[in-house]
Amino acid sequence: MADRPSVIMKKNLWNNNPIFIQILGICSTLAVTNNLVNTLIMTVGLVFVTGFTNLSVSLLKELIPDRVRMIIQTLIIAFYVIIVDIVLRAYLPAISRSLGPYVGLIITNCIIMGRAEGFARSNPPVISLWDGITSGIGYMWVLVMIAFFRELLGSGSLFGIKILPDNFTYWTIMVMPPSAFFLLGIVIWICKSLILKKEGGK
Amino acid sequence: MNKNSLVYTVVFSFLTAFFFVFLLSMADTLTKEKTEDNARKTFYKAVLKSSGIDFRSDDDSVPVFKKYFSSYKDGDDVLRTEVDGKEIVVKVFRGSGLWGTITGVIAFSSDLERIAGFEIISHNETPGLGGRIDEDWFKEQFDWEKISPSGITVRKGSGSYDSDTENSEVEGITGASLTSKSVETIINDNIRIMKGEGSNG
Repeated sequence: MADRPSVIMKKNLWNNNPIFIQILGICSTLAVTNNLVNTLIMTVGLVFVTGFTNLSVSLLKELIPDRVRMIIQTLIIAFYVIIVDIVLRAYLPAISRSLGPYVGLIITNCIIMGRAEGFARSNPPVISLWDGITSGIGYMWVLVMIAFFRELLGSGSLFGIKILPDNFTYWTIMVMPPSAFFLLGIVIWICKSLILKKEGGK
Repeated sequence: MNKNSLVYTVVFSFLTAFFFVFLLSMADTLTKEKTEDNARKTFYKAVLKSSGIDFRSDDDSVPVFKKYFSSYKDGDDVLRTEVDGKEIVVKVFRGSGLWGTITGVIAFSSDLERIAGFEIISHNETPGLGGRIDEDWFKEQFDWEKISPSGITVRKGSGSYDSDTENSEVEGITGASLTSKSVETIINDNIRIMKGEGSNG
C-alpha cells in the first residue's frame, strides 16, 4: 500500500507539504525563522527526530498496545528530542543558548506525531524512515526560505554575516513574529496557486 | 499473548519507558563533563568580556581567567581584578526576566561610578525579541556608562543605539519592553547591593 520512495518525497516536499498544505508546525515557523543559523539547526534537529521517531514507531508497531499508542509515541519523540538537546548542549553550546526553549518544543511539533500516526504505524520501517526524513526536509526548505527573507530584511545579514550596507533601514517588523505570518501567508498563496494551476492544466 | 490485555499494556509501557530513560541517562552521563566544561568556559568568558579583558579563543579563556582572577573560588559572586591600572569589581547576578531567570555578570569600576561591562550567561527570553538582550549592540551600550544616583535607565526601544556614556541611559529592545524593564531592575538592584556592601565593608 505504500507509495514508491520518489512519490513519497514529492508529496512531502511539495504536493502535501507539512507547512503550506497541512499547515502543521506553525508555532515554530513563527518563532525561529528570524535567524538563518537557528532555523537551520532547529530544522536539522526536526529532520532527525521525525526520521528516527518514524523508524522506531514502525519497528515497534506490532508490539505497541492500542490503548497507550499515543503515549508511547510521545515517549519516543521526547527521547529523540532530548538526545538532540544533549548533543547541542555538549557540542554547540552557543547555538543551544540562542535556541533556548525551542529545542524542547520540537516535542510538540505536530508534524512528528502526524507522521508517526499517519504513516509509520501502518508501513514498514525503512520507508517510514524515508517518509520522516522527507517530511522534515519539506518543513526545512520552507522555513529556511522564510528565514532568508526575515534575516536579510530584518537584520541585514545572512547566517550572521552582514550583507546589506549600513545605511539600509532594517525592517524591525521582520524580526518579530507577525512578519512570519505575512511571509507564511505569501508562501501558502504562491505554492497553492502553483499547485492549482498545474491541476487545472491537466 | 493478547496485545490489548491490561497486564501486557502495563508491562510494555513500563519496559519501554525504562529502556528509553536508561538510554537518556547514559547519554547525559557521557556528555556531563563536556557540558560542565562548557558552562565553566561560558562563565569565564562572560567575566572576561565584561571586564574588557581580551582572550584569543574559548580554550584561551581558562588560563587568562586564572591569571586575572587567581583568588576566585567556585560560587563566589563578587570578583575583583585590575585591568590596565583600573580596578574592576565583577558582580555575578541572578534575576527574573519575563519568562525565567536571567543570569550574567556586571562589571563595575571599583568606585561604583560607572558600569564597565554587562554580559549575559543564560536567559529564557523569546528568541528574536527579549532574547536580543544577548546581542552585542545591546550589551555594549553599558560599557563605561555613568551610574546616576537613581541607577541606569533602559529606555523604550526605538531601534537606535545609545552611544552616550554620560546620560546613564541605554536603548531598550523594540517590541520587548518587559524584558528591557527586567534588565533595568536587575542592574539597579545589583548596583544597590554593591553600594550597600561598599558602605558596610
